[in-house]
Amino acid sequence: MALEDLRATVSRCSKCSYCKWIPLAHVKSWRFAKGCPSIEYNKFQSYSASGRLSTSLSLLEGRSSYFDEGLVDIVFKCMLDGCCDVACKVNRYDLEPVEIMRQLRFKMIDNGCFPPMDVPYIDHLRKEDNMMLESKADRGKWADGLDVKDLTQEKADVVFHVGCKLSFDKDLWKIPQTVVAILKNAGVDFGIMGKDENCCGGRVCDMGYRGEFLKYAENNIDAWKNAGVKTIVTTCSDGYHAFNRLYPEEFEFNFEVLHITQYLERLINEGKLKFTKTVPMKVTYHDPCHLGRRGEPYMPWKGEQKKIRGQVLVYEPRKPRYNGALGIYDIPRNIIKSIPGIELVEMERNREYAWCCGAGGGVRERYPEFSGWTAGERIEEAKSTGAEAIVTACGWCERNFIDAINDQNESMKVYDIVDLVAEAI
Amino acid sequence: MALLSEVYEALENIVGPENITEEPATLDSYAYQWMAELVTDVTGGSKFFDRPEAVLVPGSVEDVQAIIKACNQYKIKYHVFSTGWGPWAAVPSAGQILMDLRRMNRIIEINEQNMFAVVEPYCVAAQLQAEAMKVGLNNHISGAGSGTSVLANACTFQGGGPDVMYFSSPQDSILSIEWVMPTGEILRTGSMGSDLGWFCAEGPGPSTQGIIRGSLGGAGGWGVVTKIAIRLVNWPGPVQMPIEGTAPSYRTQLPEENFKAAFPAFPSLQRFADAIYRIYDSEIGYIVHRQFVMWGDELQAAFLRIVTDPTKQLCDIPELLETPEIQQLTKEMQRNFQFIMVGMTPRDLAYQQKVLDQILKETGGWNISIIEEPDMQQYVLLFMLKLCFKSVNFTATGGFIDTYNSVASPDVWASGEIEAGKALLKKYAPKIADCGDQAMGPIGGQGGGGVTGWEDFVFYDPQDSDSSKAAADCSDEGDRLKAAQGRPPGGMLFGLARSTHADEEVRAKKLSKSPEYNWQRKLKETLDPNSVGSGNYFWGADLSKEENN
Amino acid sequence: MKDLMMAEKKDALIKIVGAENVIDDPSTLDIYSRDHSFVTPMMPLMVVKPRNADEVQDIVKWANQTKTPLVPVSSGPPHFRGDSVPGSEGAVIVDLSGMKRIIMMDRRNRVVIIEPGVTYSQLQPELAKQGLRLSMPLMPRATKSVLGGLLEREPIMNPRYAWSLNEPLRCIETVMGNGEMFRTGELAGGGVSTSTREEAKLVPIEELMEKRKLTQETALYQYGPGQFNYHKLVSAAQGTMGIVTWASLRCEVLPKAQKFFLVASDDLDKLVGFAYKLLRIRFHDELMLFSRSSLVSILGEGTEQVSSLEKELPPWTLVLGLTGRDILAEERLEFLEKDITEIAQQFGVSIETEIPGATGEQVSEAVMNPSKEPYWKLRRKGGCQDIFFLTTLNRAQEFVSAMNTLAEASDYSPSDLGIYIQPTHLGTSCHVEFSLPYDPGDEKEAAKVKDLFTRASKELSEQGAFYTRPYGIWADMAYSRNAEHTNLTKKLKGIFDPNNVLNPGKLCF
Repeated sequence: MALEDLRATVSRCSKCSYCKWIPLAHVKSWRFAKGCPSIEYNKFQSYSASGRLSTSLSLLEGRSSYFDEGLVDIVFKCMLDGCCDVACKVNRYDLEPVEIMRQLRFKMIDNGCFPPMDVPYIDHLRKEDNMMLESKADRGKWADGLDVKDLTQEKADVVFHVGCKLSFDKDLWKIPQTVVAILKNAGVDFGIMGKDENCCGGRVCDMGYRGEFLKYAENNIDAWKNAGVKTIVTTCSDGYHAFNRLYPEEFEFNFEVLHITQYLERLINEGKLKFTKTVPMKVTYHDPCHLGRRGEPYMPWKGEQKKIRGQVLVYEPRKPRYNGALGIYDIPRNIIKSIPGIELVEMERNREYAWCCGAGGGVRERYPEFSGWTAGERIEEAKSTGAEAIVTACGWCERNFIDAINDQNESMKVYDIVDLVAEAI
Repeated sequence: MALLSEVYEALENIVGPENITEEPATLDSYAYQWMAELVTDVTGGSKFFDRPEAVLVPGSVEDVQAIIKACNQYKIKYHVFSTGWGPWAAVPSAGQILMDLRRMNRIIEINEQNMFAVVEPYCVAAQLQAEAMKVGLNNHISGAGSGTSVLANACTFQGGGPDVMYFSSPQDSILSIEWVMPTGEILRTGSMGSDLGWFCAEGPGPSTQGIIRGSLGGAGGWGVVTKIAIRLVNWPGPVQMPIEGTAPSYRTQLPEENFKAAFPAFPSLQRFADAIYRIYDSEIGYIVHRQFVMWGDELQAAFLRIVTDPTKQLCDIPELLETPEIQQLTKEMQRNFQFIMVGMTPRDLAYQQKVLDQILKETGGWNISIIEEPDMQQYVLLFMLKLCFKSVNFTATGGFIDTYNSVASPDVWASGEIEAGKALLKKYAPKIADCGDQAMGPIGGQGGGGVTGWEDFVFYDPQDSDSSKAAADCSDEGDRLKAAQGRPPGGMLFGLARSTHADEEVRAKKLSKSPEYNWQRKLKETLDPNSVGSGNYFWGADLSKEENN
Repeated sequence: MKDLMMAEKKDALIKIVGAENVIDDPSTLDIYSRDHSFVTPMMPLMVVKPRNADEVQDIVKWANQTKTPLVPVSSGPPHFRGDSVPGSEGAVIVDLSGMKRIIMMDRRNRVVIIEPGVTYSQLQPELAKQGLRLSMPLMPRATKSVLGGLLEREPIMNPRYAWSLNEPLRCIETVMGNGEMFRTGELAGGGVSTSTREEAKLVPIEELMEKRKLTQETALYQYGPGQFNYHKLVSAAQGTMGIVTWASLRCEVLPKAQKFFLVASDDLDKLVGFAYKLLRIRFHDELMLFSRSSLVSILGEGTEQVSSLEKELPPWTLVLGLTGRDILAEERLEFLEKDITEIAQQFGVSIETEIPGATGEQVSEAVMNPSKEPYWKLRRKGGCQDIFFLTTLNRAQEFVSAMNTLAEASDYSPSDLGIYIQPTHLGTSCHVEFSLPYDPGDEKEAAKVKDLFTRASKELSEQGAFYTRPYGIWADMAYSRNAEHTNLTKKLKGIFDPNNVLNPGKLCF
């Protein structure tokens, strides 16, 4: 729905400020009660979900202009992590904070109002099919020497979509390499696109460039169809969200989408992945936004909003809530807990109300200081558990944590779940 | 009208450039308010009140002091808010700067032995509660819920809530405060003013703290309170309440030897009232409130099933209402309230339960069966103890106000007003939601009980002008009905929304008949000679001056 | 000229209250010119005894016209604090002790409305007939005004009923210093937030309460009206802001079962720890701590008994009253006793119904009633000076040690020092009171006690005693510590008593 279509929804925000906190039921301390990095860092009301809702209304009513100086920051200085959405929807069945903020971004981009920092990234995307500012030709280098099916030439049931971050971030190559080893060992019929793998488009979509996203989505779907793929397995939570939620919303989409953690769980249950080594470590798990609360599958809905009992707003048929309830939280934890020697401790903010790593929504590209600050906050929270390491399931989270730890001279280790698994097999 | 650059610079020098803005969309985010659409003579039906001239985010009492002094120097009015859930958080009129206190958010101290905490404005009740529970204490949470400011609820607005009977009225829970006065002096009241710690609000001599609030607080119109010490109560529960459940149906399991939620209901409102008196006299109960009827006596059973089941939504209401279970429950739930017993020891809880059983026996009441379901018991405990679900006021339609409020002795429940309130709401349905009796309120409205009351909830659609108008008219009619009965005015919220945004001179003329507003005028003239404090402090016009003119 | 003015004033007052209620004979004036405190005596011009609120209002208006200082007094003698001694010449004592009406009582809502002259001796029996009683301060004297004591924030013995330091005081009617009559809280002209209703015309209180029955309003909601808590303005004001002409009070349910326990200890801190626990979980009703000397004064009648008590009583006694009020009263006592016994063990103490020298019943009989004559504080030696202040309970021992040292330095025997420690405001603060009995007829002893009183007041203030009720010399000490509060208080005075007719010379005025 376009922003104009959400005008009524926008007008129903009561300014309860629940979007600024984790769901209040879960507050366990003063320090880790906050849910919205944007308003915590930027301070003004306009930087909260509620603030962006009123900003949308202000724009729709012509009270402010898309071209006002300062509006760009208000709209884009947010990871679209969705904690606000979860907290708001504890009691509100009719508000859609993230969706409204997405539509606001699309509207801004459509009007040509974008952060100037976007230019090199968008240009590069258009030329090299990635926003990592790396050469497309180098995309498959992580797989050199691994002898994996090339799905541009062959067919397979499963495509292993690595994602831009893990393809180009050398420090993280071990993750996709381990996945390849695991899948091979399990006898899975899979392949990769290698240097021809394209960006999933999820990130650029969150950044507001819907047109670019649609292009990449269509492209990827065609490529998979041509390769006979039935199942997409990805290590990238951003990608997982894109395939699981965004693609089916826009296109006919008949693929099974699995995050690597889901696939690992499947392999464990089938006895095709066994842990034989002990990994004595105290760890805490960070729920990536795009695997957790924003990782809920797309649920097609065609219905209408009605009123019953006079004014009670309902949707018929029942509308998917997208309130984080159906995200992937337990699977990664089960995997971690099944590794011998691991002690898993929880941060205060976890699952559907986890604090964001700071990388998403274009923030890492556009506002690196804000991005780093957000990651730093999460590291503080991880430290408070007494854990030696923070484990997660998204390359973007990992890179942001690594950078924050280095910047602050912290000693905490950062692992992907796949890293832990690699140590245990 | 933009601030003069000289003024903007002076303010910027105080808080730093990153903490002040004139950006239009940001200003609008502060002008946007719940209920703005009802105050049509001010907003024309829009969701926006006047924009502030600038928004400042001060970081310390020194910042606040400097800002207020600058306002006095440049004759600029200021307004201020903490968590800001309500139209009184928007500037009362154009030409004012707005202080957003979110940077002043610390818990300064929790004094476990003497049971109080010292907090800044943006510490919300949930945060204080989480820290207090770690040392076996708990804090009052206003009826607006745990996402609201501890300080603002106590000092600047109304602040009552479900726990007042045990926890005490917020007015009486305030100990020393730190207060930047309208002329910029910093006053620390009571014992803190003598540098003796925060433990006592009063004195020496007459308590200057009486100025801070009366029945209502100054809503930002009386200078800025930057710290408050507030009383805490005992918490015999775990240091962290364990929360389970799938979003949004969270619940908590607490030790059964100390915690029990009851759900008493009564055969008549007279018996309901009688039971309340017995509760006061027996001194049982930790939290006592008529909460869930906010959804209407016709819908509360269905709503309870919906909010405790993550797969259900409001569209399930019609189907649920058809089921024998909900029909039976709806009957069973007539004339109910929620009653949370917390035993400081297991014997204490056992005693309280026995007393409640006796009261139910005497009054022909019963404990609604649904509360014995573990999930429901756990949900109700969580809801009432943490008051973490209060945006639920807006669940039904996105808009809510109150009407036909009462604050009186428990016999008011049996006075016919409940029925009259229901009839009033029915009259305006379907332009407002048609839910039945929606009289929600505290069973014990003061420490130890004595006073009780309710707000009749009005659910309206804020983006539907007909519905908004109906809600406003309903609130107005509630006021007129009250006046005709010789009672205090009805709807508090809409009345305050209008009053806080009314033309100050016009409002002052209306209030001039009331002696307290003449006193308040004298206070204002004395303590705020440059009249820079927000117009949310009410005063009556000096009609004698006008007559002489 | 002076005589002429005096005659005019007398005539004017006679017109208001009647000749029999205007007194100017020297012996009567002498009684009002002084009290047991060390405040400098000052003869009043005359004493006037109003019979009702309208007369009070007329007197205040007259005082504004003639710029005559007024000193409101509600209690009968003896007085101790100096607040009823005129602070300036030419003052008229407004003696309200004759306004003795119990205006209404309401068992269901547990509220009573009384005039300023009502004493505990008068009130408690009447309340008992209704199944009620009023939370009391410790053993008020027979002539003590209930209203007067509550206005002055005297602590009640039951900290869990002290929802504020004003409890159980609720709504008041007061004549402000400018002569305007005003009501507070629920009994203001209107509702809980404004007084825009008809009753702003101030109909007689009896008529108002009849009307209020129809609207189920109780006289219990004391806040406001509006955005100001006026009842706080006249609290601990020593009559400098307004003269209260009636007040509504929240009553307790008269208990069906009651038991007093005593906890003996050599160690005050042990008792303090135990008291904190009881306060924390509200497992108490009356809860006080006494030094031996205090308890001797409370229980001892006659030299022989005093002597025996001095030998038997422990250095410190915690007094704990427990009640069962209504439903399952005995069961309440039973479970509380069991639980508290266990808790006491954790603190190395035990609760007993009898300790050497005293039984719970004896103590209960003494403290739950107004003092018998002679007033208990005067029994030992005929005179007594009190130093009291607010602090927190955990500092009690500190102040006790300091006071003992000061007493010794003044050659005053610490064992004579009465010490009464009263937790208040639900345990958040604590009233600490040192009583110095002495023979006022013995000039040397009186001088010693005066010196000790002065020095100790100062020293304790410097150590952190908070004189929230700033009588006499404490006023300067208290007000000098908070300049902003002092300025604001003066501004309030300027608003509510612009001609400074109400008890000038007190507080910071």
